Amino acid sequence: MSSGAPLLEIKGIVAGYGSVEVLHEVSLEVREGEIVTLIGGNGAGKSTTLMCASGVVPLRAGEISFAGERIAQVGGGVRADLLVPRGLVQVPEGRRIFPRMTVLENLMMGAYTRNDPAGVQKDLAHVYELFDILKKRSSQLGGTLSGGEQQMLAIGRAILSKPRLLMMDEPSMGIAPLLVARIFEAVKELNRSGLTILLVEQNARAALRLAHRGYVLETGRITLSDDAQKLLVDPRVLASYLGE
Amino acid sequence: MAERRFSFFTRGQCIVLALLAATPLLDLAFPSIQLSGPMRTVVVYAILALGLNVVVGWTGLLNLGIAAFMAIGAYAFGILTAEVYPFQVGFWWALLLSGAIGAFAGWLLGAPTLRLRGDYLAIVTLGFGEIVQDGLKNLQAITKGTEGINPLPKPTVPFGAAIQSGLEIVGIASAPAATKAAEGVVAASSNWFEISSATPARWFYLYLILLAVVIFFCRNLEFSRLGRQWFAVREDELAARCMAIEPDKAKLKAFAAGAALAAIAGALFASHLASTGEPANYDFQVSILALCIVIVGGIGSITGVVLGAIVMVGLSNVVLPALTQAMQRAGIGSTENVLSSPDNYKYLIFGLALVLMMRFRPDGIVHTRKAVKK
Repeated sequence: MSSGAPLLEIKGIVAGYGSVEVLHEVSLEVREGEIVTLIGGNGAGKSTTLMCASGVVPLRAGEISFAGERIAQVGGGVRADLLVPRGLVQVPEGRRIFPRMTVLENLMMGAYTRNDPAGVQKDLAHVYELFDILKKRSSQLGGTLSGGEQQMLAIGRAILSKPRLLMMDEPSMGIAPLLVARIFEAVKELNRSGLTILLVEQNARAALRLAHRGYVLETGRITLSDDAQKLLVDPRVLASYLGE
Repeated sequence: MAERRFSFFTRGQCIVLALLAATPLLDLAFPSIQLSGPMRTVVVYAILALGLNVVVGWTGLLNLGIAAFMAIGAYAFGILTAEVYPFQVGFWWALLLSGAIGAFAGWLLGAPTLRLRGDYLAIVTLGFGEIVQDGLKNLQAITKGTEGINPLPKPTVPFGAAIQSGLEIVGIASAPAATKAAEGVVAASSNWFEISSATPARWFYLYLILLAVVIFFCRNLEFSRLGRQWFAVREDELAARCMAIEPDKAKLKAFAAGAALAAIAGALFASHLASTGEPANYDFQVSILALCIVIVGGIGSITGVVLGAIVMVGLSNVVLPALTQAMQRAGIGSTENVLSSPDNYKYLIFGLALVLMMRFRPDGIVHTRKAVKK
């Protein structure tokens, strides 16, 4: 895998909520064309890291750059609503779809900021190709889908935002194993077609099998970072996260 | 996204408008009842409820103080038109300005409070409703306290005089006799476009046209980018944020739009009464009535909300008073016996209607979408 230039650079960020500091100088980078996974236990700060990159949680130290441009630093950054048009798109944790909109309407909300109808139609066709169940259910209400289908919908909706970097927060959470496999396959396929992906997961084994590189986050600090294949056999990872 | 330029009325919207348009025909059939006057309040409440629907139905924010914006619209209209004030800008300018002032008031209330969620926002809007009412009561120098501002002008038909003289030149509308025949029972002046209390049908139709304009506005708002933003915020704020929507801004716009429509309803109400009436005309009961209209009619559905206004306000302001009068005339009911006058059963019927609706048709008469459990 030939890695391109760094797309997302997180440098020494410190962040938290109220008096609780969650991230203590976390640094990581995602290069163009990669799948990078961030693994770690509950409360390690995985979601907070993504929220910082999305501009939702403010930084207390450090900075974040996207495509060579600084998007977050202490005391502010690019407004969250301006990051999506630049291609930094997050699929939030827990399948946050719009339950009383149809599947098609949900997908179209992803294209809300776009002004290229032809491109949107092309991406829609791509999503339907990736998840054919969504095409079958396109006029059904989002809330009537199964958990796995909702996760597919959330990913499809994010793809219609035309991302350069897709940040996924726990896409496997609470989903039937068969559908998890289907979703991870789709992630791989998306990456093959050129999309860079930052995957946050508790399902460490599946995530490391999929990813090129991985970071291990433990109580707000990156404790390990290496090629995913090496992390898969690393004794420390095996002991802590792979249950062996 | 395929952008449609404009969409006109749906079949359901055409049906409710046609239903309303038919009421003056009942005046022809039953000259003794004269529905066109009281039916104007149905139109006023329909506009008020459509404003509330933007906030409650589309954006999912519970607003219990919509009557405050109606009051603001009514008093703005009063101050802008009444003879005791220096402005006297006329019906149409006052109507537009009332809407603008209402939108500003909505923005002013929304800016500091919209970060609140659910019940907390409901309580703040409830308090706002009371504050506005008390404010109007006590700012005697400006609002005339409980007297209300009056007299207020009736609507005029724009370019009515010009069209009339045009018609007279062509020879269509010269003789008053011809007009009388066309108007049926209503003793009208020779000017087809003059609106007065002697021409309740014309007045009603003017209000109906305004309702149609509001429906057209709402319908196109519903499918606009802004409408999508509201729906997204209602469904899931965090997900909306991930789609590059700023929930706070979207909510603020919903509040302002809803308040503008409520203020326009207030201005029309004041013109209908020829007075702002006393501030108690815009009390909590009115907010609740508007909320009931939205819920009974079908939350989120334009057709449903208008239908809800026809059913609820039609019952309380038209059918029950007419029945009471008829019974008194027939000697069945009397003013002394409260139980014998149907008018007094209004809230009993409302309460029953709400309970039955919640039990058998919780999405309202016209439902947009089945509620889905998360």
